Amino acid sequence: MEIIESLIDLVFLAFTSMVPLLLGAIGEIINERSGVVNIGIEGIFLLSALTSTIVNYFTNNLGLALLTGVVTGMAIGSLHGLISTYLRGDQIVAGVGLNVFAYGMSVIALVTIWGTFGNSPSVSTIPKLKVFGHAVSPLVPTSIAVAVIVWYFLYKTGLGLRLRACGEDPKAAEAMGINVLRTRLLATIIGASLAGLGGSYLSIDWVGQFTKEISAGRGFIALANVAFSNWNPLTAILGAFIFGFFDALAIHLSIVSLQPALAYLFKIIPYLGTLAVVSIFFRRTRIPPALGKPYIKE
Amino acid sequence: MNKLSSLLRGWRLSEYVVIAVEVCGSIALGIGIATLLLYTLGFDPGKGITLLLGGGFTDLDYLLSRATFIMMTGLAFSIPLMAGLFNIGGEGQMYLGGLVSLLTAIYTGNLFLALIAGGIAGLTLGLFIAVLRVYRGVNEVISSIMLNWTLYYLTIYLVTNTFYDPLAPHESIKVPQSARLGLISIGDFKLHIIFPISLVFILLAYFVLYHTKIGFEIRASGLAPKAAKYAGLNPERAMIYAMCLGGFFGGIAGSLNVLGFTYYIDTLLTTMYGMGFDGIGVALMGRGHPIGIVFSSVFFSMLIIGGQSMQMVLNAPKEVADALSGIIIMALALPYVYRMALSYLRARRMIAHGDH
Repeated sequence: MEIIESLIDLVFLAFTSMVPLLLGAIGEIINERSGVVNIGIEGIFLLSALTSTIVNYFTNNLGLALLTGVVTGMAIGSLHGLISTYLRGDQIVAGVGLNVFAYGMSVIALVTIWGTFGNSPSVSTIPKLKVFGHAVSPLVPTSIAVAVIVWYFLYKTGLGLRLRACGEDPKAAEAMGINVLRTRLLATIIGASLAGLGGSYLSIDWVGQFTKEISAGRGFIALANVAFSNWNPLTAILGAFIFGFFDALAIHLSIVSLQPALAYLFKIIPYLGTLAVVSIFFRRTRIPPALGKPYIKE
Repeated sequence: MNKLSSLLRGWRLSEYVVIAVEVCGSIALGIGIATLLLYTLGFDPGKGITLLLGGGFTDLDYLLSRATFIMMTGLAFSIPLMAGLFNIGGEGQMYLGGLVSLLTAIYTGNLFLALIAGGIAGLTLGLFIAVLRVYRGVNEVISSIMLNWTLYYLTIYLVTNTFYDPLAPHESIKVPQSARLGLISIGDFKLHIIFPISLVFILLAYFVLYHTKIGFEIRASGLAPKAAKYAGLNPERAMIYAMCLGGFFGGIAGSLNVLGFTYYIDTLLTTMYGMGFDGIGVALMGRGHPIGIVFSSVFFSMLIIGGQSMQMVLNAPKEVADALSGIIIMALALPYVYRMALSYLRARRMIAHGDH
């Protein structure tokens, strides 16, 4: 009986940790389908988690805090989108720079606002739903709904088709009268706003405070999920659950195990698990052909 | 023929001008935003920037030693980039190199063996990433980051749990005297020997890249994979070579850190943490060329130490240096903008000239 109970606990914990991996992946699928790669999800997670903690700390208004996280994502997305479209920048290099900048900024903010190098004071979190006696964040069903909506948008609407055309063959898309650069810019902003929501979730829903490196590589696990899902938001739900399960397992084991030193070993599980899963499934994927290449209008 | 060569010379010259403008422009943009940041945070921006840029020069030995590690992680990023791969796993390769060097030094007491073992460990990790990419299609950015975190926690686990120093539990067992790289004195000036050693590694990288078949294959495959394939080269093999070389230098970064500077690994990895990522900025600013990397590593070392002195004097967080290098990296992603700005200026000058 105990095993079954802890298994159920694990599944609920996996639902908790899948949210940022799912939101980050759906956002990235939107912008990658349009041809822009953004490896700065990690940085967006960090900065959105930070800004929503700050707003929540000073106003105690959760709605406003959540909105701030989304707007932070949009602002970063606009910058990355501009660099990737009109300014013809190197998308990977810009994303790396963004991650480095976000790390620096988050520590600067911790120090100047709260005077600590580790974590912010605790803030209130989004009220949880009760499902079979387990607390579940409303963002769990929300993120799954977002995945379904984005899937419908990408595959069943004309706008979605136009967006995908920019990532498949931008020249043909332009010939069909689509403004490729504008579409890519908008897709990047929308994608980053979803990552921003994922970042807010980390701090003002899950952890209840901002900690240094709160994202802990989750931005990159979300990227792994994009490839795992073969750029399909519905499959990304499954991917997020699998990767979230590894994360949950690590947390669960370090609570259950009585040796604190072992916690470091358990923390490896999500990273090695992710690597193992993508190594098995990557081969079958089909990358959008124009991904990561700047579009130069003639 | 004469015309052609003069044309070529002209092109090369203006190419250098563009590069100089790009690098200086990115630095200027970074410093501008950092100034604004310090002002917003309520610190004296003049004092802050002076410390940030000048603090590194108070101790020349420390400046060059710090540059050593990021020079090596700079190579770890730049060589795979030549073959078209983004090795952001320099961080993990450095941890592993440091760890393996430490253990080899403890068990054998042999300096040479320890140094080489660290390099080989990094090389193996690079090879693993390349093999996943070439044979399984796993994107190297994802596998690199997953391995970085894995090695981060694995090293911490081993240092806290197995190889800790009973007299100083926050540190690992020390490197035995026989396996240490020491200091050399030039008159009154003492310098860690790792800096001249890293210059030897730079020359080695330069030689391999520009004077061997392997280097040619790497560079040609990165510039034009299809043409390289047509010419009988193998771009996938080039990726594997490049990741092995990059991983080797990443490992050496950790080895030099442990064997020649700290002589131990601490339980939070503070002496190595982040230097793999600093290498990315170093490589980009050095334009991927080994000689350029020497200069840019000293520049980034100056920023890192400057950040520390700013924190000590002004109590401003040293991470301003991180934010600054992030902005510089983002600005370096925009060569097109600089080219446009330059040709705009040139066009204006030509129009102004025509008016006379």
